[in-house]
Amino acid sequence: MPRVRNLRQRLDDMAAALERRPHLLRLGRLFNETILIEVDQDEFYLTFEKGRVVEIKEGPSKKLPWRFALRAKGDALLEFWQPLPKPGFHDIFGLVKYGNGSIDGDILTLVKNLRYFKEFMALGRKEGFS
Amino acid sequence: MKSSIEPIVGRYVNVTVGNARQRIYFEEAGQGRPVVCLHTAGADTRQWRSVLNDEAFTRSHRFIAFDMPWHGKSLPPEGFETEEYLLSTEIYMETVLAFCRAAGLEKPLLAGCSMGGRIALQLAALHPESFSGFIAIEASDFQPAWYDIDWFHRPDAHGGEMGAALVSANIAPQAPDAERWTTLWMFMQSGPGVFRGDLSFYTSDDSLVGRLGSIDTRRTPVHIMCGEYDMTCTPEDAQRTAAAIKGSSLAIMKDLGHFPMSENPSAFRVYFKEALERVTRVPARLMDA
Repeated sequence: MPRVRNLRQRLDDMAAALERRPHLLRLGRLFNETILIEVDQDEFYLTFEKGRVVEIKEGPSKKLPWRFALRAKGDALLEFWQPLPKPGFHDIFGLVKYGNGSIDGDILTLVKNLRYFKEFMALGRKEGFS
Repeated sequence: MKSSIEPIVGRYVNVTVGNARQRIYFEEAGQGRPVVCLHTAGADTRQWRSVLNDEAFTRSHRFIAFDMPWHGKSLPPEGFETEEYLLSTEIYMETVLAFCRAAGLEKPLLAGCSMGGRIALQLAALHPESFSGFIAIEASDFQPAWYDIDWFHRPDAHGGEMGAALVSANIAPQAPDAERWTTLWMFMQSGPGVFRGDLSFYTSDDSLVGRLGSIDTRRTPVHIMCGEYDMTCTPEDAQRTAAAIKGSSLAIMKDLGHFPMSENPSAFRVYFKEALERVTRVPARLMDA
């Protein structure tokens, strides 16, 4: 499944990029959660501790608890990661609004950490992957 | 060497709106046809800083931007400490009209963004006699909330920071970083509950829908502008609204979002120049005379 390998690699690269963003580590210093990122049928459980990604587990799993989930269509997420995404693909809430994704679970935890999480997700863009 | 002092000058004016005495901060620049500028929800006049500093505009227009009460440098009214701030269409219209009277402005153009654009269209329908034209930016008849407005005022979180993180969804990726973050800073600075109180009006009052047909663009021209990256007032929302106002014009703006004059001034100025030209028409009543 080459698509899964690429996505896993990208998430690993995003986790590594986080380490080079002192302002994100500062913003995320109280963020200690496991969140689910689901792309098409593939599940990734990212565990954050003090703003760092300490573990990424691949699903599927019915046992791993998560605080909130971002689910997106793979091609939409790839457009989101373009340097200049098209309208509606430029923000995770755009993916949701236009039917290319969904967010569920403890939304308030997401909203309290919204800038941090959005900037983490955008690291896939900044790393320059296509 | 060019002076580093900007031409923008700020002052205060005292008005009574409803039963409340309001001390309103406004700033202005330029000379010529007066244009009153309204900011979005959860922000203040600084959104208009680039227009007020743009000689190409201020040569022929006098721009006056004011902070709504509770916003920017306009304090909340006496007794605010026990009041739940909830903006309404009526209070908002009354505030704009009271400001224009107190500032001695006769039939200014009205340019408003987001909730400022919404109220501009309400005034176009209900009080056209007080204005010479309307530029409604990121404005439409009605949009329900795609978020929970109560997120932005709660004791266990910073409403301003959450609000800024949410509205960043409405800024186009082409926005320069400096302007993007200046735009977001205003939301971060917004007083507790103010963004929520603005959104309460913006996301619940749909009274404009039935009024659009009564706007007479032969008397007061209406130009609507919408950024292609705006997810709150989408281009479809703006198109629907323009279609319901006979004789109005519409511009869909490339590379711009919900805060065009603030998030990317150089991209916005081309469209704003066109807007000012479109609303500078000889009013029908003069042609009839």
